Amino acid sequence: MNRKWEIVRDWGITIGSVVGSFLLSLFLQNQYQTDALIPVVFVLGTFLTSVLTHGYVYGVSSALFGVLAVNFAFTFPYFHLNFMIPENLISTVIMVIVSLVTCGLTAKLKQQEAARSNGEKERMRANLLRAVSHDLRTPLTTICGSSSALLENYDAFTREQRETMLRGIQMDAQWLNRMVENLLSITRIGSGDVKIIKEETALDELVDSVLMTFSTRYPAVKVTLDIPEEVLIIPMDAMLIQQVLINLLENAVQHAQGMTKLSLRVIAMGNRAVFEIQDNGKGIDEDMIKSIFSGRYTPDAAILDSSKSNCGIGLSLCATIVKAHGGTIQAKNSKGGGALFRFTLDMPEEEDE
Amino acid sequence: MNNNKYKLLLIEDEENIHNFVAALLEANGYQVIGARTCAEGTMLFASHCPDLVILDLGLPDGDGMEFLREIRRDSMVPVIVLSARTNEADKVQALDLGANDYVTKPFGSAELLARVRSAMRNFHYSAHRGAGGNRYESQGLVIDYDARRVFCHGIEIKFTQIEYNILAFLSAHPGKVMTYAAIIKAIWGYNDLGSRKKLQVNMANIRKKLGVRPGEISYIVNELGVGYRMLRSDEK
Repeated sequence: MNRKWEIVRDWGITIGSVVGSFLLSLFLQNQYQTDALIPVVFVLGTFLTSVLTHGYVYGVSSALFGVLAVNFAFTFPYFHLNFMIPENLISTVIMVIVSLVTCGLTAKLKQQEAARSNGEKERMRANLLRAVSHDLRTPLTTICGSSSALLENYDAFTREQRETMLRGIQMDAQWLNRMVENLLSITRIGSGDVKIIKEETALDELVDSVLMTFSTRYPAVKVTLDIPEEVLIIPMDAMLIQQVLINLLENAVQHAQGMTKLSLRVIAMGNRAVFEIQDNGKGIDEDMIKSIFSGRYTPDAAILDSSKSNCGIGLSLCATIVKAHGGTIQAKNSKGGGALFRFTLDMPEEEDE
Repeated sequence: MNNNKYKLLLIEDEENIHNFVAALLEANGYQVIGARTCAEGTMLFASHCPDLVILDLGLPDGDGMEFLREIRRDSMVPVIVLSARTNEADKVQALDLGANDYVTKPFGSAELLARVRSAMRNFHYSAHRGAGGNRYESQGLVIDYDARRVFCHGIEIKFTQIEYNILAFLSAHPGKVMTYAAIIKAIWGYNDLGSRKKLQVNMANIRKKLGVRPGEISYIVNELGVGYRMLRSDEK
């Protein structure tokens, strides 16, 4: 399907540029009473075609069409094709050379782009694998260790100890579950070509779901909520955006040291919905802000920070999801102290009442 | 030998899950009959007539949907499906095919038990409904079907025609998840997914009138992406 559209589009550009050059030449001929500009216009047309299309076919075709057009309409004998005049032959050759060289350059440029983005994808995947491997092993260690200890020495532990270990197993299993959810989301939209399917979702339902899930995991953390009074229906993949909100809230709980207040605010601004998650913790390190969404795995941070973290996967996933929705995301330290995460989603204007 | 325990049919192929669920249910006073494939499930269903079925979607010999379709031909036995979280479409399809409820994996024991209890009571008490007059009562919310009036902690709340219809519909299936499609069909009479927005706006207005804020437990639980469920009077 993609290929067909591409071919249609490229032929469209080719024909469009030839026709455009033709019309422009007619106009210039009438306007300035000279033929000198015509070849130049057609060379421009060929050049543009070569740059905007894929491969060599279209560029060369444009060159040949152009030559034919100039031959036919703009050179003596007018409205006749005459290939015997040497100038015509030479101009043909020159046009074809221009188109070949331009097509070649364009192709090379595209190759380099592809190689670069592939390289970046590879790096991200490698980072992801490293982070995942570390992040999965940590909870698994507890689960393996605690469960085997209980099986082998059940009677040696007090009831309290057993309960602590079992609770640890439960917490780690839940944590693993969240990790898996994040990873699944990454694979769903990872390649960047996959279109997410947006469904209309009521904002207060989304927030309700988020808060219910969040309070199950962190019953002690209270989230202040501030959403508009009117009903907002926003097209989105609700599961993914729910994950974004939960990840951002969880991120605040895990990393905002000294946090006592956590708030979620949504504002409707014209045709966009703005989501803001704000805490009053110690804020984000200035030098981390630039790369906070890049999912860069920092091994040192992981060792120093013994509390479980998604090692940046959570945040980079948020960024990926938001971008896949066509929205924007940013992180900064707010004036009153603490970190502020803000992302936007498109919200088409209400047409009907 | 014969005791008065409810009989549950568990169709799940994953050994560990099967063991844990069976152990959990038995420890809570249910009798469990286990199957590991659709075929086995069908056979056991026919021979044991269980009071409830717990069905895993994604069984080795065909998906649970076929099984669900088959038994729904002649039986209204409560069915709870176990599904993987990322598949909303599966859940919705199962509910529309007649499943009463769903539990997403991974699930905790409390969640599963609550769903089982709820589904059982819906089924076994629905035959006795109407004994208390034509009204619905739950945690301070009273719906008077005859007068078409709604009261919340004694104070009447005015709802529009559509809003009332939605409330009445949900309250007729307490504790059960009603999908968007099911509600739209019941209220507006057609199967148009484009009306989802209409439904959501109405639900939002209902919530506002009931004074419910997001994140707080309320009379109506919203199952994101799937539908809505009105809590039963004994649920928290």
